[in-house]
Formats: sequence, C-alpha cells, structure tokens
Amino acid sequence: MMGKEIEALKQAVVNGDEVAVPYLARKALDAGVSPIDILEKGISEGAQIVGEQFEKMEIFLTELMLSGEAMMAGLEVVLPHVKAEDVPQRGKVVVGTVRGDIHEIGKNIFKSLLIANGFEVSDIGVDVPTSKFVAEAEKIKADIIAVSALMTSTLGGQKDVIDFLEQTGDRAKYIVMVGGGPTNQEWADEIGADGFAETAPEAVRVAAKLIEEGRR
Amino acid sequence: MIPIIEITNRALDGKPILEKDYDIRVFSPRVKELTKEHGIVYDSETLVPSDDGLADSIFKAAIDLICDVGVYCKDTERIIAFDEKEVRTEIKTSFDHAVLGEGLEQRTLLPRKPESEELPWIFAGAGGVTVSDESIFMRLVESYARMIPIANAITTPCLLSVDGATIRAKSPLEIEGSIRTVKLGREALRRAGRPGLPIMNAIGTAESAIALASGLHPDFGLRKTDGYMIAELAELKTDLDLLNRAALLQSLNVPIAGIYGPIYGGFAGGAEGTAVTSTAFHIQGILTYGASWTLCFPIHIKYTSSSSPELIWLASAYAQAVSRNTKVPALYYNYTAAGPCTEMVLQEFAAEFIAAVSSGASIETGGVAKGKYFDYLTPIEPMFASEVAYAAAGLKRSDADEIVKKIVPNFVDKVPDPPRGKRFQDCCDPMTGKPSEECFEIYNRVKSEVADLGMEFLY
Repeated sequence: MMGKEIEALKQAVVNGDEVAVPYLARKALDAGVSPIDILEKGISEGAQIVGEQFEKMEIFLTELMLSGEAMMAGLEVVLPHVKAEDVPQRGKVVVGTVRGDIHEIGKNIFKSLLIANGFEVSDIGVDVPTSKFVAEAEKIKADIIAVSALMTSTLGGQKDVIDFLEQTGDRAKYIVMVGGGPTNQEWADEIGADGFAETAPEAVRVAAKLIEEGRR
Repeated sequence: MIPIIEITNRALDGKPILEKDYDIRVFSPRVKELTKEHGIVYDSETLVPSDDGLADSIFKAAIDLICDVGVYCKDTERIIAFDEKEVRTEIKTSFDHAVLGEGLEQRTLLPRKPESEELPWIFAGAGGVTVSDESIFMRLVESYARMIPIANAITTPCLLSVDGATIRAKSPLEIEGSIRTVKLGREALRRAGRPGLPIMNAIGTAESAIALASGLHPDFGLRKTDGYMIAELAELKTDLDLLNRAALLQSLNVPIAGIYGPIYGGFAGGAEGTAVTSTAFHIQGILTYGASWTLCFPIHIKYTSSSSPELIWLASAYAQAVSRNTKVPALYYNYTAAGPCTEMVLQEFAAEFIAAVSSGASIETGGVAKGKYFDYLTPIEPMFASEVAYAAAGLKRSDADEIVKKIVPNFVDKVPDPPRGKRFQDCCDPMTGKPSEECFEIYNRVKSEVADLGMEFLY
C-alpha cells in the first residue's frame, strides 16, 4: 500500500501536477507513511526523474518548472511533519541576475534543477543590486551565491558581487558561482569566482561538488 | 503602424498576470495546442522542407498565438493584446524595405521568398561578440570590410572594457563604451575604404536605453541609414525600456529591427513550437515596434548553439513562414558551437545558411563559439558564411535539403562538446588583422568540399 502511494506521488511530481502532489502527500501522511519516505522516495525521486528527462531533452522548460511547483506544493505539506535535522539538505543557494540585466531564463532553469536535486533555493530575481545578493545569503545562511549575467555590458556585475564580499570581509563565507551567456571559465577565474558551468545541469553538479569539497 | 503610445497604453491597461503564469500557464500550453491544431510536425529526415502548406500553417498558428496570448510587458505585468483583424491589417500595411548605408554603399534591404534568386542581404561581421581591447575591434571591423566585398552592412563586436575598466550597465562606463563602439566602427570602415557601409547593430555595446540614447548623438557618427535593433524578450515579451527605444527611434525615423532569440527546449517546447514562436516574434516586431526588418537567432537550451538538426529545420520552416506571408525582410543569425580556425565552424555556417537563404531569409553572420568567449573571432568565418549565403540564392529547397543533410553529419556529434578553436590574437596578424595560413587552408578545404556538393560560389 505504502509503495503504491509513494509511486503515485512520484508520478504526480513527474507529471507536474500541482493539485495531486499535495493531495497525495497528505493522503500518504494520513495512511501512516513516514514523512521521510514521502520526501525521499516520493517527491525527491520524482524530481530526480524530471531533472534527468530535461537533461535528455525528453521534456522542456515548462514541464521542468511545473514539476518544480508541484514539488514545492508537496513539500509544504510534508515538511511541517519532519524534524529539521532529518531533512536531507544538499545546500542553500541564492540565485539572481545582476543589476542592469533583466534576463532570467537561464537562472530559472538552474533554479528549477537545483530544487529538483534537493537544494534549498532563494531566487532574488533580476536587476539585483550587489548588496542584495550578500544580504540574502546572510539571511538564509547560504552556501552558494550564484550570479547570472547575459549581456557583455552586465558581466561586470558578477565581479562587483565578489569585490563586495572581499571588501566586507565576507568572501570566505560563501561559494560564488557565475553563469550566463557571455560568462566563461577564463572570466570566472579572472574575477575570482569559485565555480562556473556552461549549462544549468552542469552547474548543479558543480554546485554539489563545491559544497562537498567545502570550499569556504 | 500602431502608434507607440497606443502600445504603451495597452501595456499599462492590459490584462494583469504574473510573468510565471504567462510563461507556463498561458503561452506554453497554447503553443503546444496550436502546433497540434495546425498539424505542424518536425521531420528529422527533411531539414529543409519544401512544403508550402507547412510554412503557411506555421504562419497561421503564429497569428493565432499572438492573438490568443498577446505580448507580455514585464514591467507592468500586463498583456498587450491584439485582435486578428488588426494583426492582419498591420502585416498587410507594414514596411517592406529599409534603405541602409550612404553614398556608394547605399542599398535597399528587401524581402526575399523561398528559392528566390534575389541575393540575400549580407550583414557580416562579429555578430556582437565581445573583444577584450579596442585594437582587436579595429582590426576585425577593418578586415570585415576589406575581406567581404559582398557585405551590405557590418556587425561590430562589443567592448568588454573601457581603459581597462570592465563595463557596467547603466554606468558612465557603458555610455563611454557605446560611444567608442560607434566611433571606432566608423573609423575602421573609413580605413577600409568603405566609409558608407552601414553599421546594422548600431551601438552593440549599449544595453541600457540611456547608453543607446547617448551613442545616438550625430557627433559620434551614427547615421539614420544605420540599423537600429530593439530586442523582443523570450518568449513574446517586451518591457518599458524597450518600448522607450521604439518611441525614440520611431521619432528619429530610422529603420528599426525587432530582434529575438526563441529558445528551443524553453517555453515554446520543441522544434514545432519554437518555429511558431519565432514566426510570432516576427509579427510582434511589426506590431509593437513598427519594425522594417527583423532578425531571428534561435538557440538550443542545452547546447546554446543553433546548428543541431532541429534548429536547422526550424530556421528553414520559420524563414519560409515569414517570407511567404509577410513583406518585412527577415534576417537569420546563428550561433555556432565551434570556434574560429576549425572546420566545424565553417560546416555549421554552411548548413544553417544554406537552409535559411534557400528558405527566403537574408543573413547576419552569427556568434562564433556560441558568442561566449572573448576574442574568439576572425574575419574568415563571416567571409565564408557570406559567400555560402550568396551561393544559396536560387537554390531549390529540395536541393538545399540534400546538401544540408550531407554537411550536418560532419559535425553533429561534436555539438555537445565542440572545439573552441583559436583567439584572434592566436591566428591573425595583430597589425593587419590578416588570418594565418592555417585559417586559409581550413577555409579553402571546407569551401571546396561544399562546392563539391553542388554549391556554386560567386568567387
């Protein structure tokens, strides 16, 4: 019985069904299924499948985002029943696009894949002032600050975030990743970023690796 | 043309909706429905389709799309709505040409049709890719003008920095960078002996409206016969800053381009949905900005390039849809996966431009190595791309399809992990901009291979 309900929940996450996921999560809780099992074997495994499907281009961005929303709706039901220390936590990430830049699709893909892979994400949007990246990281006790820029003329905003951290003495507290259209490894090295990836799926792997390596 | 004030009023008073809901609950499902309703299907066996019915179905679906979901204004979080009668009227009464360039270089950019023998407009150069210093900028632009005699217009690089300081948007660095882009570009064209060539990505370095406005001052060398681009945001969006540009440029009476980069694998879905969306973007440019030409640069969400088979089909299907059904000239721009001084980059250009030009588009030579790496530019790539585009004029779509399908297998497996190639300073003479012998050898080899497939080069 438990397996059936978990399987239905997992499938609902894969289908991006924002109504069915919280309903099935609640149903599983009522049936006495362990909240950790609901999280790990239902919601997380479903999200994992969606991430893999997106990477293989079997599904597209809309399906990825709908699954992300469904997953979040499920988490709202389950998390109150789980002790904080029991929640599997891969890391906390602040994502945003630099000041002067309003492009966000790349950032949104990265965010959706982070969520699908079990990261906690705070998306602070586009055209973000430098200090807001740092303030948000402080607020959620982030592991990573991920700074996106799509235009050549806005790349400098990535450097500004790192310079700001250097000058306030907070650089060692956070892993800084950069990404977006004209960003590349040389640029990341030049400005002193800790991580860069060409694609969102690769960026998720880099994020996980950097956290694991404890580069602080 | 719909007055910009009317567009603005609709942006201010239209139906409110959150952007995310527009993306995934309005736009995306409607695209999916329309591709089914109109029977639009991507055929991996035919990269350059010859089916006029398919092109017209894509166009009808695009009209339905823009009438059903409108254009989203990000700042006001409202939908700019259009009805079908208005859309069809605007398409029928749109601009049908743009006069660009001065003196001996003045030409008229005209619409083309699939299989047309009319030569494509050659908008050649850097495609706005970034260079690290002004001397490389100068050498490249000068070389484009000298080495590409069939170029009708030049696309300059963007500057990364000003006097060593990395440019920041909306700062004096951006304004200075924008002014320098114009002045350097104009001076490089003068040195090449082609001072009348238009710069069609006027002020490539300007991201903000204030930088655009600064660079526009006649003291800095821009002319009314240069090209002025206004971005349309993915997918089917705009914002007040972009509408501000339209307000300014329409009042200046200059040729405006609506430019857009639909994302394969994004909210539009696969090849079919992205073809419909690209076509709707062309119409959006006419409706919201009063565009007299448009530029489409689709991109693969995973590879961030445009030479995958699905996108080659998309380039062809889109070009046929807009060139058969509107009279606004449509240009196509590509992102190669590979970088300079490689065979692959030239093969990618050949496949994409043979598909696009035989399908009715003109071209802007695109971003090399995904437009991602500073200084990964030489004059060879746009030179080759321009020559291929000329050779593709008059080609039957069925013949283009056969040729493209013979080129694609040479590189398709390398798209996920392409060779980055060489930087300008590693394969060109820094004093003259002349590419190395190695670059020319690769160019001659690939050109010969493409000629052997049946392409007749002008020279």
